[in-house]
Amino acid sequence: MSAVTVETPPGATRSTRRPAASPSLLAALRWEVRKLGAQYRARAVLLGALLGPIPVVAVIHAQSRAPKDTLFGRYATTNGFSLALLILGFACQWILPLLTAVVAGDIFASEDQHGTWKTVLTRSASRAKLFWAKSIAAAGFAVLMVVILAGSTVAASVLIGGHQPLVGVSGQLIGAHEALRLVLASWATTLAPTLGFTCLAILLSIATRNPAAGIATPVVLGMVMQLVGALGGIEAVRPLLLTTPYESWHGLLASPRFTGPLVQGLVVSGVWSLVALIAGFVMLRRRDITGG
Amino acid sequence: MNTLLAVDAEGVSKSFGHVRAVVDVSLQVAPGEVYGVLGPNGAGKTTLLRMLFGLIRPDAGTMRIFGRTWGEAGVHTLDGVAGFIESPRFYPYLTGRQNLRGLAALDGGDSADRIEEVLDVVDMTARADRKVGGYSYGMRQRLGVAASLLRQPELLVLDEPANGLDPAGIRDMRALVRRLAGSGLTVLLSSHHMDEVEEICDNVTIMSRGNVSFHGSIADLRAMAPEPGHVLHTSADTDAVAIARQHPGVDVTPDSDGRLRVVGQERLVSAYVAAVVKAGIDLRTFAATETPLEALFFMLTDDEDAVEGPRTTREEAAVR
Repeated sequence: MSAVTVETPPGATRSTRRPAASPSLLAALRWEVRKLGAQYRARAVLLGALLGPIPVVAVIHAQSRAPKDTLFGRYATTNGFSLALLILGFACQWILPLLTAVVAGDIFASEDQHGTWKTVLTRSASRAKLFWAKSIAAAGFAVLMVVILAGSTVAASVLIGGHQPLVGVSGQLIGAHEALRLVLASWATTLAPTLGFTCLAILLSIATRNPAAGIATPVVLGMVMQLVGALGGIEAVRPLLLTTPYESWHGLLASPRFTGPLVQGLVVSGVWSLVALIAGFVMLRRRDITGG
Repeated sequence: MNTLLAVDAEGVSKSFGHVRAVVDVSLQVAPGEVYGVLGPNGAGKTTLLRMLFGLIRPDAGTMRIFGRTWGEAGVHTLDGVAGFIESPRFYPYLTGRQNLRGLAALDGGDSADRIEEVLDVVDMTARADRKVGGYSYGMRQRLGVAASLLRQPELLVLDEPANGLDPAGIRDMRALVRRLAGSGLTVLLSSHHMDEVEEICDNVTIMSRGNVSFHGSIADLRAMAPEPGHVLHTSADTDAVAIARQHPGVDVTPDSDGRLRVVGQERLVSAYVAAVVKAGIDLRTFAATETPLEALFFMLTDDEDAVEGPRTTREEAAVR
């Protein structure tokens, strides 16, 4: 060893500083929310979720021929509830995974992009605290986005398409009041798989350290899962895919109503979320921050 | 009363792939000391400082900050510690003030109350409401110092704070560091500029290829320094070399650029140059090549034998 110990100068004393206060998780979360609020793309997603459904609803409603080969497409031009459910089916294909990934896929990788890991990790917040603050912020954004998109779609559909009784999956007639409740409940069922995709995007954001990959990869994976789910002969695998819970709302509109897929979807989404979060957490904890 | 070192690194090593970035490095920084870590690019200085901040985990060795280790104290290891690694980075879509507010939130305590004060210290108050994306390099450096001061540190770690600045920025940054050091802070400063460390620091560790080449006081370093070197180009270099034979203590040798390298004590070199002029030889170039400490720095760090193999781009980035 080539080092030589330098003598301690006289007067060197024990540090009298008391342990510094650690920031609370809430303080770290508030900081993440403030950053999200300042980002153009996060605001654009929320604005898109609010305004985007209106022209879509207007265009579909104005069609002379209804998209009969699509679930709830047959009455989409004449019934507002059908129209809201048709758009729900479409949103589940790739829009919801994409919209949530715009924030979740970027929230960790953007620290690499801006080289700011070394800035935040040399303060008093632990990696664990930053991880949870970012994850909660991304999950909160996902919930807000789904609520805004659902609210805007249902409101626009009912206002433009009307609120006549809805024809259910089994051909039963559902009264307007009950239909509204079921349509809102159907949109609410997308929360669990969307949060699953949020956690997947968080994992990919940490693993790839690249915002573009963090955003695009969950969407591509979602499409691959849908493709796999459409294949025959894999019935055992199909319920385990993260895209399958997006179909669990169909049972709410059947007669008799069945909720098995809903419960199964909650469990599957929960497992995907948990595994992705644990993997992301371990990866971030163990990582050497060499860039920036 | 117990004595605790501000930094006590013991046998610290870190490798990236097959590249040994830091090899069995030990250094001790006493409270109140201004300590320099010097070395060329790729010497392992930044890797060492990243380990100090807990950004990188060492493969071997222990690093204590005011007696605390990362294994025992976690993030509390950094209580009373602040600074930046390489160029400070901030969120470009936020203003300087918003960045400081966010960092103060991550500090906890009353850091936020000092934002105006630290902006004033680094002379950034007037520009604090502009987005950082539009800041110059020097402004970001100063904001980095401000962000560090928010924590009211006892130990300030600055990694090449004058790097990338223009001459005026270098002057201002050095003056700021001197002022902070003069206030009683312990300062750990990394640099690849000998003059910067010589000017500010009490003790120094010189690193080369991850190893410690020298460890001691600036006074010890000065005592080891070789004679100053000069470059000389005349209208008759052969005659100038011949004249040198009559001047003991002055070594004149042709260099690879076709000029003469003159080494010796200032007094003897001056007498030699006067003799050259007196012999009717025109001087075309006569300039100091490096200060004695710079010459020593190059001697200590030009150790090609330490090269362990070619580094990949990623490894080079990691070992900065």
